[in-house]
Amino acid sequence: MAKLKMPPPHGGELVNRVIEKKEYAESLAAGAIEFDLKPTLDPNGVPIRHVYREIVSVCYGFFSPVEGSMTQNDLEGVLKERRLENGWVFPYPILLDVSEEDLKSLDVKEGDRLLLKLKGQPFAIMDVEEVYKIDPKDVATRTFGTPENNPEVVRQPFDEKHPGWMIYRCMNPYVIAGKWTIINPPKFREPYDRFWLPPAECRAVIKHVKKWRTCIAHQTRNVPHTGHEMLMKCAAYTGDIEPCHGILVNAIIGAKRKGDYPNEAILEGHEAVNKYGYIKPSRHMVTFTLWDMRYGNPIESLLHGIIRQNMGCTHHMFGRDHAAVGEYYDKYATQILWSEGIPSFGFEAPPNEVEKGLKIIPQNMAEFWYCPVCGEIAYSENCGHVKEKQKFSGSFLRGMVAEGVMPPKVVMRPEVYKAIVKWWKVFGYPFVNNKYLENLNKELEVDLAPMEIPKA
Amino acid sequence: MPHYIGVILDENRLAQIKGTPLEEKIQDLFGGQLKMLVVEVPEDKSEQILKAFDRARIDSRGFIEDLPVAFKRALFEEIAKAKSLDVIDKVLERLPEIQEAAKKESEYIPPPEIE
Repeated sequence: MAKLKMPPPHGGELVNRVIEKKEYAESLAAGAIEFDLKPTLDPNGVPIRHVYREIVSVCYGFFSPVEGSMTQNDLEGVLKERRLENGWVFPYPILLDVSEEDLKSLDVKEGDRLLLKLKGQPFAIMDVEEVYKIDPKDVATRTFGTPENNPEVVRQPFDEKHPGWMIYRCMNPYVIAGKWTIINPPKFREPYDRFWLPPAECRAVIKHVKKWRTCIAHQTRNVPHTGHEMLMKCAAYTGDIEPCHGILVNAIIGAKRKGDYPNEAILEGHEAVNKYGYIKPSRHMVTFTLWDMRYGNPIESLLHGIIRQNMGCTHHMFGRDHAAVGEYYDKYATQILWSEGIPSFGFEAPPNEVEKGLKIIPQNMAEFWYCPVCGEIAYSENCGHVKEKQKFSGSFLRGMVAEGVMPPKVVMRPEVYKAIVKWWKVFGYPFVNNKYLENLNKELEVDLAPMEIPKA
Repeated sequence: MPHYIGVILDENRLAQIKGTPLEEKIQDLFGGQLKMLVVEVPEDKSEQILKAFDRARIDSRGFIEDLPVAFKRALFEEIAKAKSLDVIDKVLERLPEIQEAAKKESEYIPPPEIE
């Protein structure tokens, strides 16, 4: 077997649409039509998404080759076969949606330049390519699929209980399409600043600082229990002539479903895994991507593959129920996609075997459980004590945490639990609730420096 | 298909069921580091529970999880009172009271005092 090396970015080149030079940035924005970015609210007024996160992830190259809010052709391509108009695989609609009222007051047309403001400050510009209407419910349903149209993996119709479906369902009916450019780079607040490593820098760190030739990505939206830790350790035994040199934990940071852990606890919980030596820091690194998680199992796994390939990973581990919530998809939908493809979603073959597909190598993993006979955490494909197995369950652990019971260390490292309690004390609650989401929407993960834009 | 609810037993709860037939039903988890009682919930009752608490869901083991602490507390109270695991109807009779307590829980849960 040939030794592997870092794959190229998805689409060939990393997108970099961030202007660091202030004067140049100000000149680009001069005279542009101002628009204050707004969150997407659910029917109860709870913020469930903020498009600023997508703007950051696009402009810093996490979502390469996407460069902005999608045109109607791109959107149709994504909904029909998970391909952009240029043919590159991409799973989700990325859209700047606006209300009819906002569209009227903006009075924008193709060729106009918008100045997008965040927290009252100039943040990004966009050159309008197209304005078009969508049916948010149709976009939501076609994004995730239906049991009729996607019988290979969709098990029940998506509805209001699915947080990702709700994000698209609650979007405004008009889309302004065009490339985004950040003109006022955001400053991440604590603790996010310690984990901020956009793709270009991440590639450089992997290559020159960590000196990892191979690196496996671990997707997370959770505080790690020892099942996650074993998944990371064992999945990393893949590689080429030797196990992967590094494990890149990439947390998805944004609005989450109620009951998930707060973003801050997730990051510091994973950090505790290397800080306290459960996996050496020389082999384990924690980073994040801004994205309001859509919980789209196989669809989400495509985005994860793209993000982590852009960050420089050679491999990506995928477990059971990857990025899933409820029983909408088959538990192994992601693994079906990456092992044989899902034709109804546009994949006659796995996404790394199709034209203009991904280069990252999947590592599909079964489950880990505690085996009282073996007296250890065991891999389901090894352990023969199926009757005696004790499965890990994130929600079981959450129940234990909520009841004030410290999980035994065979299930959760005490330092990880302390990270949960640290942020529990800050927010008065161990999990995401409406109050947390409202506060997150107000504060966001970033601050922006004051910037004066000359009038036209 | 029935679902299940796990009731974790700390020292205080263990003391309350000491000497009762429930002791035989205690399950050891994770090498004996955790002890638990498992209550079987018929499907129609589990649907009722899922409807009553919007965060509640069935996990990969078939357990109903993400239930309010108030629900788990009421469930254990009924178990200790009846000295039986067949108490789900009794708990469902208390649903309005549990839902009221759960509302407060969605805003604040006191953090444990650990170093």
